[in-house]
Formats: sequence, structure tokens, C-alpha cells
Amino acid sequence: MTRRIQTAVRNYCVFLARCARIAFVGDWRYYAWMGVLTVIALLGLNAYCRQFADGLVVTGMCDQVSWGVYIANFTFLVGVAAAAVMMVIPVYIYDNEELHDLVIFGELLAVAAIIMCLAFVTVDLGRPDRFWHLIPGIGQLNFPASMLSWDVIVLNGYLLLNVYICGYLLICRYQNKKPAVWFYIPFVFIAIVWAVSIHTVTAFLYVGLGGRPFWNQAIIGPRFLASAFTAGPALIILALQVIRSVTQYHITDKALLTLRGIVQVSMIINVFLLMCEVFTEFYAGGLHIASSKYLYLGLHGYHALVPWIWTAITFNLTAMVLLVLPVSRSLKWLNLTCVLCITGIWIEKGMGLVIPGFIPTPLGQIVEYSPSVNETLVCLGIWAFGLLCYTIFLRMAVPILQGELSMANESGALRAKLNT
Amino acid sequence: MKGSTKTSLVIYGLMGVFLLLAAAFLMNLWGQTAERPQIPLVDPEFIKTATVRTSYAELVSAKADLSDFDCYGCHEKGKPPILRFDDKHNLLIPDEHKDIVMGHGRNNRNNLCTNCHDENNLELFQTRDGRELKFSESTELCGSCHGPTYRDWSAGAHGRTSGYWNREMGPISRKDCVSCHNPHSPKFPGRQPAPPPHTLRPPLTQPAHAAAEGEH
Amino acid sequence: MSVHPTSGEPKPEGMSRRSFLRTSAVFGTGLAALAAGLAPLLDVKNFPSLQQFMQKYYKELTPEEMAVVLKRIENEVERQYGIRPHVRDLKPMDGVEFVYCLNLTRCIGCRKCVHACVAENNQSRNPEIQYIRVLQMENGSLDMEKAVHDYDPAKVPEKEHFYMPVQCQQCKNPPCVKVCPVHATWQEPDGITVIDYDWCIGCRYCEAACPYWARRFNFAKPSIPKDRLNPEMDYLSNRPRSQGVMEKCHFCLQRTRAGRYPACVEVCPTGTRKFGNILDPNSEVSYILKTKKVFIQLKEELGTSPRFFYYFDV
Repeated sequence: MTRRIQTAVRNYCVFLARCARIAFVGDWRYYAWMGVLTVIALLGLNAYCRQFADGLVVTGMCDQVSWGVYIANFTFLVGVAAAAVMMVIPVYIYDNEELHDLVIFGELLAVAAIIMCLAFVTVDLGRPDRFWHLIPGIGQLNFPASMLSWDVIVLNGYLLLNVYICGYLLICRYQNKKPAVWFYIPFVFIAIVWAVSIHTVTAFLYVGLGGRPFWNQAIIGPRFLASAFTAGPALIILALQVIRSVTQYHITDKALLTLRGIVQVSMIINVFLLMCEVFTEFYAGGLHIASSKYLYLGLHGYHALVPWIWTAITFNLTAMVLLVLPVSRSLKWLNLTCVLCITGIWIEKGMGLVIPGFIPTPLGQIVEYSPSVNETLVCLGIWAFGLLCYTIFLRMAVPILQGELSMANESGALRAKLNT
Repeated sequence: MKGSTKTSLVIYGLMGVFLLLAAAFLMNLWGQTAERPQIPLVDPEFIKTATVRTSYAELVSAKADLSDFDCYGCHEKGKPPILRFDDKHNLLIPDEHKDIVMGHGRNNRNNLCTNCHDENNLELFQTRDGRELKFSESTELCGSCHGPTYRDWSAGAHGRTSGYWNREMGPISRKDCVSCHNPHSPKFPGRQPAPPPHTLRPPLTQPAHAAAEGEH
Repeated sequence: MSVHPTSGEPKPEGMSRRSFLRTSAVFGTGLAALAAGLAPLLDVKNFPSLQQFMQKYYKELTPEEMAVVLKRIENEVERQYGIRPHVRDLKPMDGVEFVYCLNLTRCIGCRKCVHACVAENNQSRNPEIQYIRVLQMENGSLDMEKAVHDYDPAKVPEKEHFYMPVQCQQCKNPPCVKVCPVHATWQEPDGITVIDYDWCIGCRYCEAACPYWARRFNFAKPSIPKDRLNPEMDYLSNRPRSQGVMEKCHFCLQRTRAGRYPACVEVCPTGTRKFGNILDPNSEVSYILKTKKVFIQLKEELGTSPRFFYYFDV
């Protein structure tokens, strides 16, 4: 029995070692891409060290606008992570064979996105050295009252879930074994429900605050999901085309068009929910729509966000029209549409949701926000780190899925080295 | 260019960039926290808890100079002071008392010294119904007309309460009316406010019609 | 290095010396850039000691452990400011529930309360932290959108305006307590909502949740002039806070739990502010709540049940 466990562990170590090794090997385009990402990530790390030393005063935040681009990016990326798993639904529920392998690419994107989310939340903390206060049992996690405690649990759980599912499927493919149904199918279905939950919990972070009428609305939850399922699959459509061109991995256009279908329906729902929101706010009016006025029209002469939100709305509407028309079946137009979706929704969820919640303050004061250079560098650094992670994951996964990296072609030398 | 040459170029290029980056980080070329504008410390006058005036009782307990209250140092005993009025029946304050500005009550209803002071005994007050009160009982005098305020003051709801809210642990300190109000002109004069708050972030835009509105 | 033509894996026969040197060089320069990038961490002042890092939650500290913690705080303050403070951990009194009444007829907007609070509670002067915000409101309306925060006329009060100071309302149903992910803020039995500054992780969720904009965050290390430090401190109230934690009005519990009035009540020149124990029928706050006709609890409709009652002189 122990011999079997020893062999299994040794096999796993060989597998990990080869995966790690291959991450550092590639052609000049790979090195250039990873190099650029590393440089940006280092810039971000340096900026974060400056923030750790001097405090959050190096950002553009203040007591009036106490959450900024960090939480905005976090919110957007939780949506991406949730939506990456949406591809799972057609495969496992509707038995869509075309998307079967692509599910792993989606889940790897979810892992990278969650890593970015956790990074964004950590850099936003005033005392990250006290992170252990959040660990249930050791710290004092305020579960179930605090929605942030729910977020901590569901995000980490989702990370573990996806790492497990991808890891299991990949090692089975590496060892040319058929994955045992009970080891992954239940987890896949849990992941589908969990994906919805991570984004709903993140929405409830905002919805639960009675003192911020801009957020305290039931429509925020559905709006989050609709926009996530637009931007997430749009990102995956773009990512899959990159994978296809760089690795010659076989991805059919039909798979891309299935994803287009998801983006299409989600964008229509997103725009419909936007109209519902705008009507509810502006038809009756009242004092509590001050934040909406600030966002869409400007308030008392302050209008910094107005051009941003109208750009986002234009992008979203254009994208919706393009998605409905057959012209977006062509990849060129589809790619443009995806870029419009992603940008529009990023603006909407970031500047269009987080910042207006703070303007005006509950006491009626207007203080506008704009991220500082340091803050922007940290954000770029985390995005670069996330892309770095995703590229490494793909660099490991694609050869395994193509059969080029497998147990069968383990070199004798490597085996011998590890056996001694 | 061959693939391996391109790869070498990229790798050597990266090395160069990393070195440059390391140098830039160590030289601290960017990212220093900007100097925040100096915020002057508040004038300690704004933190002082002393009342603007001192009542007779407080002066007595502080053993201060009470010569201001020695009426018969100038006035003659038994001789009520003569009050002079102008043609509109406004009280004319004599030069010896020129520091007094009469402004007690609107519509000139209470600008008569003898409404409060006993003209036959200047060291006493008199109420409207003829009761006599000592200087140290000035609060009763005020209360004889200002009923609701006096009622609130007795319960601690009007005027400042300081000291101990928990009477078992220490005394509460109450002020007489005249510690805050000038009895001859009791309405509080305006005063300069302490400086407004300083926001951490400077404004991004100066709103166009802020100047016109004058505020915000 | 030479690679397998399809899988891209390094060929097993090993790398040539040149490619090994090249690989090490690029790794080396990368690590150098990484190390240099971490250079700003050398500027970190007051890195927490292991003892501080492992400090337990306030409610779990035994009296002996609390004594050690208080000693540590006293040592730190002495090291930083040159003054030996007296740091206590006052417990709430039995049979006491604090309530605050504020007379809107009387406030003249002089802001003395703001600065008395700053002086008493060792708040940072730069970046400026002030727990109390006085709003200049227009007569006839409680619409805070019309409030002016930065009024600075030659004389207050100005005609056609009234003044409304706002600070932590110590709500009976506090949204900030509900949302804190680590229980760093909670409501004590005497009604004061307190913060354990050594437990707060600085996520600022409570600041987003507060409907009264009452909570403040230390974006930088607080700067307190040495000659204005108040050495009478308490663990949960006015001991100097660190960078990255929240703070707010705590009803001066270093004074009120010793039976005295808060600093804002003591300094108010017009007697606008009234504070006391609502469970004591003879307190002035009981009198006010029994006799006055019109009360305002700010944003009452949110269900926060504030302990702050604004009233008028009728």
C-alpha cells in the first residue's frame, strides 16, 4: 500500500517538475511576452512596497471616497472568474462536445482571475500583516453577519475547487488515464453553483449597505451576473483565439460562436437591466438619486465621471447591436465586439458602480476621486501578474492536452534522477 | 533572423531591462509620497473651556477683585440714581457706565435699569413682583421672567454642564446665566469660527458655478 | 537552450555552457530587479514585533495579558513622543447606557467641539482627522446636499442658517458592526461602539457602511505634535493609532467611563451638547427626552436607531 502511495507521489513530483520546467521554455515571442509582463509586475510590486511603507495616502483615496480602483478591479475580476466557469454549463449540462477541452482553459482563467482578486483585496487592506485575523478558528471571522467574511470563504473555496478540478483533469490526461467520474463531476457541478455564489456575494457586499442608496438596490445582484457573463466569455473568446494561433491547439470556430451566443444574451439582459435602473432612479427622483445624478449628469458642477459612463453605455449599446446582427459571426467583428464589451463593462463596474457610491458622501459632501500614479502601477502590476499566471498555466496545460507532455515520454534520465 | 537569434536578442534585451529597472528602483526615481500641504495647528483659544464671562459667585470664590460691584463707592446711599432718557424714551447711559450697552429684549421693552436693579439698594436686584435678590442669586432674577429656560437650566438642559455626569463619582459643574450671557445685552454676539476641515485630496475640478453659488 | 521540436521541453542531454550562463544571467538580473523593487520596504517604520503580530483579540485577552499590552503601548508612546502616558482599560459601568442630545436651536457653528475632540483624543493633525463634522444647513430643511462643510465667515452664526454637528451616532443597530469581517468593532454594553485598533485590518468596509460618514481611516502614519499629546489614554479610545486602521468618536470613554463629560460637551460655549445616562431618570438627557416635543434622529428610516437626538427648544 505504501509502495503505491510512494509511486503515486513520485509520479506527481515528476509531473510537477516537468510542468515547472516547461514554463521557462519557449520561443522568442514567449520570452518577450513573459518579459514584458514581468517588468510590469515588478513595477507594480515596487509601487506596492511604497504603499506598504507610506500607507494608503499614496493612493487617490480619502475618507470621502474610501474605495477606489483596487476594489473596482476586484469587482470586475470576480465577475470574470465566475463567468469563466459558465462554459462548463454547455459542456456538462448540454453535452456540448466542442467545448469539452476548452473548459479547462476557462477554469484556468478563473484561477488566474481569483488570484488577481485576492491580490487586489490584499493591496487594498490598511494592515495586510493582520490577514490572519480573517482565518476562521484562528482569527475572528465575522461569519455570517459580514458579507466580506462570506467573500473570503467563497473566493478561496472557488480557487481550491478550480485548482483541484484542473489539476485532476490535467494529471489524468498526462497519465493517459480516464478521469474517474466521482472525482470530478460532482465538483464541476458544485463549481457551477459556486460561480454564481461568488459573484452574488460580491454584489451583496454593496447591496447590504443601507446608508448608500446608490448601492442598496436589488437590481445590483442580477446586473453583476449579467455583466459578468458578458465580459467573461468575451475575454475567453479572445483568449482562445490567442491560444489557437500561438499553439496550434485545435479550437473550432463553432466553439467561439457558442460563446458568442452567451455574450449576446447576457449583453441584452445587461442593457435591459441598465434601463430598469435608470428609469427607477430618474422617473420618481428624490434626494436619494444624488449619486446617479452625479454619475450620469454631473452634480453641482462636479462631472468627472460623466464622460466615462456615457462612453461605457455607448460601447455596450454598440456591442449589443453588433452581437444581434449576423455581422458579428465574422471573427474580425466578433473580436471588436468583445473588446467593446470588456471595456464597457469594466468602466461600468469600476467607475460606474464603486466610485458614485461615495459621491456625494452620506453628509452631502462631494469629493472627487482619481487614481494616483502609484495606485495605477499597482493595478497594472497585478493585471500583469495575473496574465503571467494564466500564461504559465496554459504553457503547462496545452502540451498536456495535445499529448506532447505525458507520462509516456518522460525521459529516463529525469526518472533516474528522482529515483535516487 | 533565425529563431534562436531572436530568442537570444530577447533574452539579452530582458537582462538589460532588468538591470535598468533595478537601478531605477534603487535610485528612487519615482513614486515618492508627495509632500502634503502644511495644516497650521489650531489656535489654543478654540480649545479653552472657560466661559466668556465670570459670574459674581465665581469671582467671590476665586477671591478676585470685586471693586466693580461696589456701587456705593460712587453712589450715595439712600439716593436713587436719576435715569435720563432721550426724546424717544431710549435710556441714556451715563459716561461712568459707558461699558454697558443696553440690548435686553426687543422693541425696547426692557431697557430700564430698575426693571432688575433695586434703585433703593443698588447692591440688590428686584424682581417684577418686588422680591429682592442678592448679586450671587442673579440666576433667580433671570428665571423670574425666563420661565421655560430656567426650568431647562434647573434640569441641566440649558447652558453648559461640565464636570461629572455621574454625580456619585464627582461634582457636576453648572454655570450661572451671567457666566455666558451679558445681562444687559444677553444675545450671544457672533464669533469667529475655528478653521474649516482640510480634505486629504485637492479638488479635481473647480465646479463652474461654485463661485456663483458661493458655497459647495 | 536546445528544445524538443514539438513539446518545447528542454532536451535531456543538458544545456550548453553558453545557454546555462545566459539563463543564470537573466535569472540573476531578474532577481536583482526584484530585490531592488522591494527597496521601499526599508522605509517601513515601526514594523510590528512578533508579540504585536500575535496579539490576541481584545475580548480574549486576560487581565494579565492586557496589562502587558498596556505596558507595551506606554513604552511605545514614550519612545515616540517622549512623554510617559497613562494607558488604562476602563470597563463599562453597570446600569449605564449613554445617550447624546444636541440642541439645534443653540449651536452657533463655532467648531470648538471639533478641536476639543481632536486635542482630547490624539487625532492626527496631518493628514487631518476630525471625528466631528459641523454642517451649515439652510433654515427649513435637513437636506444635507445643501449643507456646507467648509464655511468660514468672519462671524458665526450666519443668518438663515442653522448648524448641525455630526459624529458617530453610536447606533443601537450599527451597520459598521455588522459588516466588519474580523469583529474589530463592536458595541459595548454602555452603548459605545468601539474599535480594537490592534485587530482592525483596515479594509474600510465599515467606512462604506456608515450612513453618517462617522468613521475615519489612517491613510498615513498619524502626526500628533508632541506638546499637544493627551497622556490620559485608554486602550479602546484615545491611545495613538497606527497607520492603516480605523478610528471614530467613542464618546471619550476614557472620560465618560470615569464619570466625566466628553470633551465636546465640556467645551461647547452655548450648552448645545448634552450627554448622560438614559437609565438614570434624573439625568439631563432623560429630562430632555421626556419634555421636548421635536426630536430628530438622523436617517431614522434606515433603522440604525442612533443614540444621538437632535432637538429644538420647544
